[in-house]
Amino acid sequence: MKIKKPAFNLKKNAHLNYVLFGAVLCLVPLLIELGLLRNSYLTLVGSVIIYSVAAIGLNLLLGWSGLISLGTAGFMGLAAYISAYVTVNLKLPFEVAVLLALSIPLAVGILVGLVSLKIEGLYLAIATLSVSEILRKSFEEFGDITNGFSGKTAGYPKLLGFFQLDKYGTYLLLVVVLVGVMILIHNMINGQMGRALNAMRGSEAAAQAMGVHLLKYRLVAFALATSLAALSGILYIHFIKYTYPPTWTLGMSLNILSAIIIGGVRNIYGTILGVFVVFAVPDLFLKQIPYFGAMPGFAYIINGILIIVVIMYYPYGLIYLGNDMKKLWGKVKAKVKP
Amino acid sequence: MSNLDLQEGSVLRLEELSISFGGLKAVDNLSFEIKEKEIFGLIGPNGAGKTTAFNCITQFYRPNHGKIYFRDKHGKVTNLIDHPVHEIIKLGLVRTFQNVELIRELSILDNVLIGAHIDFKSSLLAQALKTKKAKDEETALRNEAIEVLTFLGIADRMLLPAGGQPYGILKKVELARTLMCHPKLIILDEPAAGLNDIETVNLAKVIRTIRDKYGCAVLLVEHDMRLVMDVCDKICAINFGKFLAVGSPKEIQRNKDVQAAYLGETEADQ
Amino acid sequence: MSTFVQLVLRSLETGSIYSLAALGIIIIYRTSNITHFAQGAMGMFNTFVVTFLFTTAGMPLWLAIIGGMVSALITGFTVDFVIIRHTKKVSPVAKQIITLGLIMIFVGVTPFLFGVDPLNLPQLIPTGSLPVAGASISFNGILNIGFGLSVMAVLFYVLQRTKWGLAIRTTASNEFTARLMGVPTKTVTMVAWAVAAVLGVLAGVMTAPFTSVTLNLMDGVQLNALIACVLGGFQTFYGPVLGAYIIGIAKNLLVYYVSSVWGEQLLYLGILIFIVFRPYGLIGKKIVKKV
Repeated sequence: MKIKKPAFNLKKNAHLNYVLFGAVLCLVPLLIELGLLRNSYLTLVGSVIIYSVAAIGLNLLLGWSGLISLGTAGFMGLAAYISAYVTVNLKLPFEVAVLLALSIPLAVGILVGLVSLKIEGLYLAIATLSVSEILRKSFEEFGDITNGFSGKTAGYPKLLGFFQLDKYGTYLLLVVVLVGVMILIHNMINGQMGRALNAMRGSEAAAQAMGVHLLKYRLVAFALATSLAALSGILYIHFIKYTYPPTWTLGMSLNILSAIIIGGVRNIYGTILGVFVVFAVPDLFLKQIPYFGAMPGFAYIINGILIIVVIMYYPYGLIYLGNDMKKLWGKVKAKVKP
Repeated sequence: MSNLDLQEGSVLRLEELSISFGGLKAVDNLSFEIKEKEIFGLIGPNGAGKTTAFNCITQFYRPNHGKIYFRDKHGKVTNLIDHPVHEIIKLGLVRTFQNVELIRELSILDNVLIGAHIDFKSSLLAQALKTKKAKDEETALRNEAIEVLTFLGIADRMLLPAGGQPYGILKKVELARTLMCHPKLIILDEPAAGLNDIETVNLAKVIRTIRDKYGCAVLLVEHDMRLVMDVCDKICAINFGKFLAVGSPKEIQRNKDVQAAYLGETEADQ
Repeated sequence: MSTFVQLVLRSLETGSIYSLAALGIIIIYRTSNITHFAQGAMGMFNTFVVTFLFTTAGMPLWLAIIGGMVSALITGFTVDFVIIRHTKKVSPVAKQIITLGLIMIFVGVTPFLFGVDPLNLPQLIPTGSLPVAGASISFNGILNIGFGLSVMAVLFYVLQRTKWGLAIRTTASNEFTARLMGVPTKTVTMVAWAVAAVLGVLAGVMTAPFTSVTLNLMDGVQLNALIACVLGGFQTFYGPVLGAYIIGIAKNLLVYYVSSVWGEQLLYLGILIFIVFRPYGLIGKKIVKKV
């Protein structure tokens, strides 16, 4: 097997890299104020950040542990509605909302995980699919809390009860959360936990013989994925400020899953690249393509094809594209010279 | 459980172990005992139930009947059947696999560190926050892994991914992984399979050095008779899941039942 | 009592739909080792083809359905030929993700070819019903149940009694050995995908008259079919069929007697709890992995 080196050198000063990455993201509002970027880009980049949080969580499950969850959208939606309800209807502080919106989906997730993970990985996909179906139905039916199809609104977060964030402030909060998540997950996957997950995916027998408790680690991975999906939902409702049931369908879960595959399984920057390809590229570029751009579902087709092509021919994801290009260029140059 | 179930100086004792799959008795009333620091061979023709016996000892399979007494790291005697599969290693019993089970994407060093899984004491949160304690622990175990790899002579490759390495190296990595937990007993499932002659001769040396350096017993299943006869202190032969004979390599070679099992009845009679 | 009979008759119809879809999923699972998440999406796509042939091209319904089955055969062949047979080295998880990618492709292509407006597909027999024990069942319902049962009868006959069935079962049990023994596993897999696609469009055509033909047509059927496989166990062909009928009956009873809104959701919860106690389904057994 070839050793694939990521485009960014993760090992050296990984944490500093993440912080720098966050700093670059912080430039977006500045560029908008200077008139160099369009106003709508703030929402676009903000959305990429929000979905990245959920996608990094799902990557922990899908990439590192080799388990499929189709419930990402359901858990995101659940957290979004809870946070909106707690801040708007119950008028409780933002921090309380965050706590509830994290712990309720987590509790549901752990129950589902306990039931399905006992058996085989395959059951998790089906169990989460049914749970997200139940959740989607609940968003439509519990009108008192969710406002049904008219949708639910929420405001920008007010930190510690007095520090009201505006649009830019909330954006900065998104960046801080993303960088924090990147660093925490980086530490986890490069230590004992990451090795245990890798072992579990690579060889269940070896993992067990080395003392890895399969159910425990599967459950931990799924719980982390669920919490990050919930966190992403919280960020969504307080940045986009509006939600309605059709957002949280299987389509959203599939998009997040495809982002991981396309960008790069088991790679944090790859996940973000994938989210950019899946959620921002359609808005930025695909819609400009004549005829096809206007076609409903065009982006969905492209993502579907990309998933399959990447799995079949480029299983480590697009994040390695730059590096492989460089290598190829090196080979071409070497051939041309003599 | 009293210590009387296992004699002083013994590390493992199987008592009337049986397991059947759909009516077929894969292991049938098998008993044997392994002394501390002994290299013990389990032999038998293909399909004799050797690997099944291994899987029963390490709790990958649940035996239908019988007891497996084991003296753990702290000298306490326990019945392995009372423990789930992932707890076996904590007692000081660790195994390798017939078809090398390593993680291709991980480096050799990381693969060996998986063997230290149970030695990590810091919590997940501490790992995520990379506290000083978690960092020190990681460094200490990493150094230990490097030591083990140096001992086996493959430290120069430790940063390469396991996938794509030659088979002989992979077998050594698996061995290194078992040594990380300071075992009382190592179970080797066909350690010489896929190795060439020179590698096999080396393996015999390595097994003996491991026993001497780590002070552990070794239980191995092997088809390569030269290796078995060369390295083992004691051998147990089985056929069709049933006990045939136990004794020193010489005794086993001379045993009529064993010869019959290997060569077929008629030839042995002549 | 008559309500109950009515419900059961209605359930048999639902059960037929679910079992056709579930059979498609299990055939793919057994031959390609893939959980086929796109079974519903492919059925939906081909149901659109039927609707298009019927509404826009003006064909009689029976001919449109045959057209849809041909289109299903082609879709099944194509999916196998272009994608699945090149995935020998891909891990089972990645294969499942491929079927998720297929969902995206079929859901994306459908509005492009057939527009975004919901369409309608009538029943094959539009009117008439048969009284049964105080209840009644439409002729179309009888047709659906009868047709579903006969399709399954034929499939089971082929699986159990013919050379082809043996080839499928050997491939299902061990693809590698089957290939060594001279079973044309490539053809078997291709036929399996085609058959699954046809089962999908049949389920779609039976579902369509109850609702309108939209992108979400098969979502419920797909979910129930997957759960039928969980309930019946993935190890046999008949387990999922049994599961499908049980789900059909339980769902309608729960919706009527317990809650019209939450009946189906309660059923999912019930089955989740069920697999805690019987992890490998009604029929399935635990398979001991050799290490």
